[in-house]
Amino acid sequence: MSELNTAEIRPPRRSSMALLVRLIQARAFGSAVVIVVLGIIFQIMSGVFISTDEIAGIFVVASSLAIMSVGVAFLMISGEFDLSVGSMFAFTPIVMGELISKSWNPWPAFFVSMLIPLGFGIMHGVITTRFGIPSFITTLGSYFLLDGVSYIVTGGQPVLYTNHVLMFSLFGGSLGFAGLTAPVVWMVIMTGLLAVVLNLTAFGNWTFAAGGRVGVGRALGVPTARVKTINFCICALLAGFAGVTSFASVGSAAPGSGSTLNLIALVAAVLGGTSLFGIEGSIVGTMFGAIIIGELETGLVLVGAPGELYEAMIGGILIIAVLVNLRLRGLGTSLEGFVAKRARS
Amino acid sequence: MTEVQPVPADRVTPLIQLVDVCMDFGPMRALDTVNLHVNAGEVVGLLGDNGAGKSTLLKVITGYHQPTSGDVIVFGKKTRLASPKVAREFGIETVYQDLALIDELSIWRNFFLGEELCRRFGPIKFMQRKEMRRIAEAELAQIGIRRVRSAEQRVLGMSGGERQSLAIIRAIYFGARVLLLDEPTAALSVRETQRVFTAVRAARDAGHGVLYIDHNIGHTFSVVDRVVLIERGRVAADLRREDTSVEEVVEILGAGPSAENIRRGKE
Repeated sequence: MSELNTAEIRPPRRSSMALLVRLIQARAFGSAVVIVVLGIIFQIMSGVFISTDEIAGIFVVASSLAIMSVGVAFLMISGEFDLSVGSMFAFTPIVMGELISKSWNPWPAFFVSMLIPLGFGIMHGVITTRFGIPSFITTLGSYFLLDGVSYIVTGGQPVLYTNHVLMFSLFGGSLGFAGLTAPVVWMVIMTGLLAVVLNLTAFGNWTFAAGGRVGVGRALGVPTARVKTINFCICALLAGFAGVTSFASVGSAAPGSGSTLNLIALVAAVLGGTSLFGIEGSIVGTMFGAIIIGELETGLVLVGAPGELYEAMIGGILIIAVLVNLRLRGLGTSLEGFVAKRARS
Repeated sequence: MTEVQPVPADRVTPLIQLVDVCMDFGPMRALDTVNLHVNAGEVVGLLGDNGAGKSTLLKVITGYHQPTSGDVIVFGKKTRLASPKVAREFGIETVYQDLALIDELSIWRNFFLGEELCRRFGPIKFMQRKEMRRIAEAELAQIGIRRVRSAEQRVLGMSGGERQSLAIIRAIYFGARVLLLDEPTAALSVRETQRVFTAVRAARDAGHGVLYIDHNIGHTFSVVDRVVLIERGRVAADLRREDTSVEEVVEILGAGPSAENIRRGKE
């Protein structure tokens, strides 16, 4: 489904111009433009960027990040943050791997380790909504807590999986096409699922409302505290699951490996048009945001740029993309006025 | 005229009635033997200075406070409004000036917020967006808001009066019998105020009871059928509009220290 943010003003139908306006006003549009522009730049610089293999490679790099980021965006739309997703991304598969190495069956190990993000999600929700502590602080605490504990659990050594089972193919195996892997499918599934929930269900409406002006949702009978708590859980569970898909496809999970991802997931959400102040955001756009980051990673390698450039580039692109997004929205609004005027005359 | 007459049994049952309601906060008496009623098809203005007890009264009616003594009678039955939720279930709906709408969301999302029309598929409730859009547009058109082209528009693009009106017709649509309007025209232009009055009158004509709370006597007079004046926690007067005048009301309230403030209306 194409996710046009329905909160946007919708111009009259049946005009190709109006259709264009709607497209430009869609929140995901800005990030789609950035993907194309970056693609063209890298193609010109490297000559081999736009090919099945490279595009598949971008998806593979972006997939686990996207699974995590769409959860972050969903939570941000309801007005809260989770700065611990990267640490959850690293910690969940570590626990799972440790359990498997203690000769647990992989499936129970998976479900038991997923109780950790669930527990943290509930904790974040309760601390934020009951005690009024900003989620920024709570989840920052979880970030250090999770990172610290993961060093204790592993003794600083990466956890490897000892025997390959069906589950690992399901979560991380190859699709046998252009080097695509299972997390790419999970990325599409999770993005689709969250986009549908956000835009088409009552819970999605409540999620928007929870991120709106404080008190309005509750005054109208929306259980905003419960909605936020559920969204903290969704976010943490997706982060844990993203970690598992990464573990399953890479074969190892290292303590501390998620620290930078805590913020990169946030960057992906913002690249996709999600506001830091709640209520505004796009799930599909956020997936695009993760793809932009995958594109950068792949592209910089292809053009032979030094690896150190990666993080600097992400910073630059973040600022440029947000500006592009803003400009496009402005263009959409003035175009809309033009279409409306023409329709009247 | 300073005593509230109990409504005779042969007349209509008030939608809501307070009988000898007192409200104490520690040693402080915020409401002192207050008698008040709102009938169906009637707009009652509640006037009084800051601190006179209007807000406390409002909170008793909406179930935020339970009175220390006295009875709350809803539809002729003695009722305990234990919480705002219970009050809502009885059809007592408050339209707050600043807590009514979420600006960034579209009109239909606001209109149905918390009451979405849904089709269930297992645990998931899918919204019936087209139907909600249609209803919201029809309801807006009915009270003469025609500037809105589509319910997909954000509330952000509506004027202050249009927003208040939207909040009022939404409350009515969802079965509110008694509407509590807390300074609905504060910070609105004259024309926008008229728009809100149109919605208030539409509610009255449809048989709802409206309790209209304001500082501005002039505004209140142009829309109410009756005014109740509150002073230091007591009902100072309960007057039908045709039996009184702005001057008389100012005079009654003028006994208090800040009549000038009331006359000018709070900015």
